[in-house]
Amino acid sequence: MNPLRVRAVDEKHIRISGIPPLLVFCLRELPHILEKRDTPDARARLFPSPTTLAGKPALTRDDEKINNDWEQIIVPELRHLFVTSGETVARDLVNLEEESAETHSGRVMFAAVHLNAWMSAINEARLILGELFNVTEQDMNREDLDIEDTKQFAVLKIGALGWLLGHLIAFATGESSADDEPTTDEAGGMP
Amino acid sequence: MHYHYATPAFDCGHSRRSPPEIKSKLVSVAGSDSLLQMAALIQPGVIQLDETATKESLATPWNVVVHNDPINLMTYVTMVFQRVFGYPRSKAEKHMIEVHQRGRSIVWSGGREQAEHYVHQLQSYQLLTTLEKSEP
Repeated sequence: MNPLRVRAVDEKHIRISGIPPLLVFCLRELPHILEKRDTPDARARLFPSPTTLAGKPALTRDDEKINNDWEQIIVPELRHLFVTSGETVARDLVNLEEESAETHSGRVMFAAVHLNAWMSAINEARLILGELFNVTEQDMNREDLDIEDTKQFAVLKIGALGWLLGHLIAFATGESSADDEPTTDEAGGMP
Repeated sequence: MHYHYATPAFDCGHSRRSPPEIKSKLVSVAGSDSLLQMAALIQPGVIQLDETATKESLATPWNVVVHNDPINLMTYVTMVFQRVFGYPRSKAEKHMIEVHQRGRSIVWSGGREQAEHYVHQLQSYQLLTTLEKSEP
């Protein structure tokens, strides 16, 4: 199978090729994962009150004012940004196609200006999965994942999406080239 | 709520907006003491405020704190610090490692308005970010 690569096709387009079948599955599921951004746990993680975190002593009046302002003004804007990114990626994913009938790997091309939307949507999907399945650091470090277990399968999807995100970051920061495999440290290799 | 903000189609909120834009948006919503304070700063004399309290509030440094979570990639967090603060990679990595190892890092300290702006930016990148008054 061809290795996963993120390349500039020209000045205006980016292509991801060599997408393994599991990651193709995750990408096709991405819009459905993002629809769960308003579940209570996901919402608490994506739109945290700026002065509130678990374990913090009682809020002051100042804190409450800031949080109320935030909920009224900033949260709707953040949500709009995340929704817009998700919709952009969902439209791009219509072009996700099979690259190899033998390996069932995939490829997709999208406008270069969508790169931030891709990183945002993939990161958001990982966070949502993490909240929905209460994923911990220990879970993330597991290597013996059982896909029959829904939580462990979620961890696998978080890892797969993280692997792609690592490649996109390397591309965005100019740390990958056509010939070099980017390093994605904690994301590790594709399971 | 009379609030409208036109979002660039594919920007994801990752562009750097200047603090005055944030302020103007805050002022556009009525009904909060802190927002009224900001309105008073823009239109002195329209709303009477305790001047001493306002000056003290503005003078108190605020910390922008990024908290650890098990999901965000280290490379992603580093990239965000570089983009939002313009930090060189070494400084961005230092804060990222502090978040990872100590559970939190104060990534910026200063005036409240600018701190709110940075929290907004970091949350737009989905980093777990809060705001706190600096210890005296």
